[in-house]
Amino acid sequence: MIRTQVSLSEEEYEAAKLEARRLGISLAELLRRSLRSILPVDASKPWMRFAGMIVTGDPESSQHIDEVVYGHKG
Amino acid sequence: MGTKGEAYVDTSAFIAFVDRSDSYHDLFRRLFDDPPSLVTSVQVVAEGHAWFLRRYDTYRALQFLSLIEEMEPLEVLDTKTADVEQATTLLRQVSDQRLTLTDAIGLSLMRLRDVEVCWSTDFHMGSTGISLAIHGV
Repeated sequence: MIRTQVSLSEEEYEAAKLEARRLGISLAELLRRSLRSILPVDASKPWMRFAGMIVTGDPESSQHIDEVVYGHKG
Repeated sequence: MGTKGEAYVDTSAFIAFVDRSDSYHDLFRRLFDDPPSLVTSVQVVAEGHAWFLRRYDTYRALQFLSLIEEMEPLEVLDTKTADVEQATTLLRQVSDQRLTLTDAIGLSLMRLRDVEVCWSTDFHMGSTGISLAIHGV
Protein backbone atom coordinates (compact mmCIF):
# COMPACT_ATOMS: atom_id res chain seq x y z
CA MET A 1 0.00 0.00 0.00
CA ILE A 2 1.17 3.52 -0.77
CA ARG A 3 0.15 6.22 1.69
CA THR A 4 -0.89 9.56 0.25
CA GLN A 5 -2.62 12.73 1.40
CA VAL A 6 -5.80 14.11 -0.15
CA SER A 7 -7.30 17.54 0.54
CA LEU A 8 -11.09 17.66 0.72
CA SER A 9 -13.51 20.46 1.41
CA GLU A 10 -15.39 20.19 4.70
CA GLU A 11 -18.59 19.30 2.82
CA GLU A 12 -16.85 16.58 0.79
CA TYR A 13 -15.25 15.16 3.92
CA GLU A 14 -18.53 15.05 5.85
CA ALA A 15 -20.42 13.54 2.91
CA ALA A 16 -17.73 10.91 2.36
CA LYS A 17 -17.67 10.01 6.07
CA LEU A 18 -21.44 9.69 6.09
CA GLU A 19 -21.42 7.43 3.01
CA ALA A 20 -18.60 5.29 4.45
CA ARG A 21 -20.57 4.85 7.67
CA ARG A 22 -23.67 3.93 5.69
CA LEU A 23 -21.73 1.26 3.78
CA GLY A 24 -19.93 0.06 6.90
CA ILE A 25 -16.45 0.70 5.47
CA SER A 26 -13.57 3.03 6.30
CA LEU A 27 -13.14 6.40 4.64
CA ALA A 28 -9.96 5.11 3.00
CA GLU A 29 -11.81 2.12 1.54
CA LEU A 30 -14.57 4.42 0.23
CA LEU A 31 -11.95 6.58 -1.53
CA ARG A 32 -10.23 3.48 -2.98
CA ARG A 33 -13.58 2.20 -4.31
CA SER A 34 -14.42 5.61 -5.78
CA LEU A 35 -11.07 5.71 -7.55
CA ARG A 36 -11.51 2.20 -8.94
CA SER A 37 -14.86 3.19 -10.42
CA ILE A 38 -13.33 5.95 -12.58
CA LEU A 39 -10.12 4.21 -13.61
CA PRO A 40 -10.12 1.84 -16.58
CA VAL A 41 -10.02 -1.81 -15.50
CA ASP A 42 -8.03 -2.77 -18.57
CA ALA A 43 -5.73 -0.03 -19.85
CA SER A 44 -5.97 -1.43 -23.38
CA LYS A 45 -9.76 -0.88 -23.34
CA PRO A 46 -10.29 2.48 -21.62
CA TRP A 47 -13.87 2.71 -22.91
CA MET A 48 -14.90 -0.24 -20.72
CA ARG A 49 -14.91 2.04 -17.66
CA PHE A 50 -18.12 3.54 -19.06
CA ALA A 51 -19.91 0.16 -19.12
CA GLY A 52 -22.86 0.43 -16.74
CA MET A 53 -21.97 3.95 -15.63
CA ILE A 54 -25.64 4.86 -15.25
CA VAL A 55 -28.74 3.16 -13.88
CA THR A 56 -31.94 4.61 -15.33
CA GLY A 57 -34.15 1.92 -13.79
CA ASP A 58 -35.76 1.37 -17.20
CA PRO A 59 -35.05 -2.07 -18.70
CA GLU A 60 -36.08 -0.67 -22.10
CA SER A 61 -34.19 2.62 -21.92
CA SER A 62 -32.26 1.91 -25.12
CA GLN A 63 -35.57 1.48 -26.95
CA HIS A 64 -36.97 4.80 -25.74
CA ILE A 65 -34.26 7.11 -27.04
CA ASP A 66 -36.49 8.87 -29.58
CA GLU A 67 -39.03 9.77 -26.88
CA VAL A 68 -36.28 11.35 -24.75
CA VAL A 69 -34.46 13.16 -27.56
CA TYR A 70 -37.33 14.11 -29.90
CA GLY A 71 -40.32 14.00 -27.54
CA HIS A 72 -43.37 11.78 -27.68
CA LYS A 73 -44.50 10.84 -31.15
CA GLY A 74 -47.97 11.92 -32.08
CA MET B 1 -15.75 0.26 -48.56
CA GLY B 2 -16.05 -1.41 -45.21
CA THR B 3 -13.87 -4.21 -43.98
CA LYS B 4 -15.17 -7.71 -43.41
CA GLY B 5 -16.80 -8.06 -40.02
CA GLU B 6 -17.33 -4.34 -39.58
CA ALA B 7 -20.39 -3.41 -37.52
CA TYR B 8 -22.43 -0.21 -37.43
CA VAL B 9 -23.24 1.09 -33.94
CA ASP B 10 -26.58 2.80 -33.39
CA THR B 11 -27.36 5.14 -30.47
CA SER B 12 -29.35 2.42 -28.72
CA ALA B 13 -26.30 0.13 -28.50
CA PHE B 14 -24.32 2.86 -26.73
CA ILE B 15 -27.17 3.47 -24.29
CA ALA B 16 -27.59 -0.26 -23.58
CA PHE B 17 -23.83 -0.41 -22.93
CA VAL B 18 -23.79 2.44 -20.40
CA ASP B 19 -27.13 1.71 -18.69
CA ARG B 20 -26.87 -1.13 -16.21
CA SER B 21 -30.68 -1.42 -16.03
CA ASP B 22 -31.16 -1.99 -19.75
CA SER B 23 -32.16 -5.55 -20.62
CA TYR B 24 -29.53 -5.63 -23.39
CA HIS B 25 -26.75 -4.29 -21.15
CA ASP B 26 -24.96 -7.62 -20.63
CA LEU B 27 -24.99 -8.36 -24.37
CA PHE B 28 -23.49 -5.00 -25.33
CA ARG B 29 -20.99 -5.08 -22.46
CA ARG B 30 -19.74 -8.38 -23.95
CA LEU B 31 -19.74 -7.06 -27.52
CA PHE B 32 -17.90 -3.82 -26.70
CA ASP B 33 -15.37 -5.74 -24.61
CA ASP B 34 -14.10 -7.56 -27.69
CA PRO B 35 -15.25 -5.51 -30.66
CA PRO B 36 -14.57 -5.88 -34.37
CA SER B 37 -14.00 -2.68 -36.39
CA LEU B 38 -16.90 -0.39 -35.58
CA VAL B 39 -18.39 2.57 -37.40
CA THR B 40 -21.05 5.07 -36.47
CA SER B 41 -22.30 8.42 -37.72
CA VAL B 42 -21.91 11.98 -36.43
CA GLN B 43 -25.69 12.01 -36.01
CA VAL B 44 -25.55 9.04 -33.62
CA VAL B 45 -22.95 10.85 -31.53
CA ALA B 46 -25.13 13.98 -31.46
CA GLU B 47 -28.21 11.91 -30.56
CA GLY B 48 -26.39 10.14 -27.72
CA HIS B 49 -25.07 13.45 -26.42
CA ALA B 50 -28.59 14.95 -26.56
CA TRP B 51 -29.99 11.91 -24.70
CA PHE B 52 -27.56 12.48 -21.83
CA LEU B 53 -28.31 16.21 -21.77
CA ARG B 54 -32.05 15.55 -21.61
CA ARG B 55 -31.87 12.72 -19.07
CA TYR B 56 -28.88 13.79 -17.01
CA ASP B 57 -26.56 16.79 -17.29
CA THR B 58 -23.56 18.25 -19.11
CA TYR B 59 -21.15 16.16 -17.01
CA ARG B 60 -22.73 12.87 -18.13
CA ALA B 61 -23.05 14.16 -21.70
CA LEU B 62 -19.31 14.89 -21.76
CA GLN B 63 -18.61 11.43 -20.35
CA PHE B 64 -20.49 10.03 -23.34
CA LEU B 65 -18.24 12.02 -25.71
CA SER B 66 -15.20 10.66 -23.84
CA LEU B 67 -16.54 7.16 -24.41
CA ILE B 68 -16.67 7.87 -28.16
CA GLU B 69 -13.15 9.36 -28.14
CA GLU B 70 -11.62 6.50 -26.18
CA MET B 71 -13.20 3.68 -28.15
CA GLU B 72 -10.31 3.02 -30.51
CA PRO B 73 -11.98 0.40 -32.74
CA LEU B 74 -14.72 2.97 -33.50
CA GLU B 75 -14.63 5.31 -36.49
CA VAL B 76 -17.11 8.18 -36.63
CA LEU B 77 -18.03 8.56 -40.29
CA ASP B 78 -18.44 11.93 -41.96
CA THR B 79 -21.86 12.60 -43.43
CA LYS B 80 -21.87 14.12 -46.89
CA THR B 81 -24.70 15.87 -48.67
CA ALA B 82 -25.18 12.77 -50.82
CA ASP B 83 -25.67 10.65 -47.68
CA VAL B 84 -28.40 13.00 -46.45
CA GLU B 85 -30.06 12.91 -49.89
CA GLN B 86 -29.99 9.12 -49.91
CA ALA B 87 -31.37 9.04 -46.37
CA THR B 88 -34.16 11.45 -47.38
CA THR B 89 -35.09 9.17 -50.28
CA LEU B 90 -35.22 6.22 -47.88
CA LEU B 91 -37.45 8.15 -45.44
CA ARG B 92 -39.85 8.89 -48.31
CA GLN B 93 -39.90 5.20 -49.30
CA VAL B 94 -40.76 4.04 -45.78
CA SER B 95 -42.83 7.00 -44.63
CA ASP B 96 -45.19 4.60 -42.84
CA GLN B 97 -42.37 3.88 -40.35
CA ARG B 98 -41.21 6.21 -37.59
CA LEU B 99 -37.59 6.35 -38.72
CA THR B 100 -35.52 9.36 -37.74
CA LEU B 101 -33.04 11.01 -40.08
CA THR B 102 -30.29 9.57 -37.86
CA ASP B 103 -31.70 6.05 -38.44
CA ALA B 104 -31.95 6.64 -42.18
CA ILE B 105 -28.41 8.02 -42.46
CA GLY B 106 -27.20 4.95 -40.57
CA LEU B 107 -29.01 2.64 -42.95
CA SER B 108 -27.60 4.55 -45.96
CA LEU B 109 -24.05 4.40 -44.60
CA MET B 110 -24.38 0.67 -43.94
CA ARG B 111 -25.55 0.11 -47.50
CA LEU B 112 -22.74 2.27 -48.90
CA ARG B 113 -20.02 0.51 -46.86
CA ASP B 114 -21.50 -2.96 -47.24
CA VAL B 115 -21.85 -3.33 -43.47
CA GLU B 116 -23.91 -6.41 -42.69
CA VAL B 117 -24.36 -6.17 -38.93
CA CYS B 118 -25.94 -3.40 -36.93
CA TRP B 119 -25.49 -3.07 -33.18
CA SER B 120 -28.86 -1.72 -32.16
CA THR B 121 -31.87 -2.54 -29.99
CA ASP B 122 -34.12 -0.63 -32.41
CA PHE B 123 -36.02 -3.04 -34.65
CA HIS B 124 -36.43 -0.30 -37.28
CA MET B 125 -32.74 -0.67 -38.05
CA GLY B 126 -33.38 -4.20 -39.32
CA SER B 127 -36.03 -2.95 -41.74
CA THR B 128 -33.76 -3.07 -44.79
CA GLY B 129 -32.55 -6.61 -44.25
CA ILE B 130 -29.55 -5.67 -42.10
CA SER B 131 -28.80 -8.22 -39.34
CA LEU B 132 -29.22 -6.90 -35.81
CA ALA B 133 -26.65 -8.05 -33.25
CA ILE B 134 -29.47 -8.70 -30.75
CA HIS B 135 -30.73 -11.48 -33.07
CA GLY B 136 -27.86 -13.83 -32.75
CA VAL B 137 -24.43 -12.75 -31.66
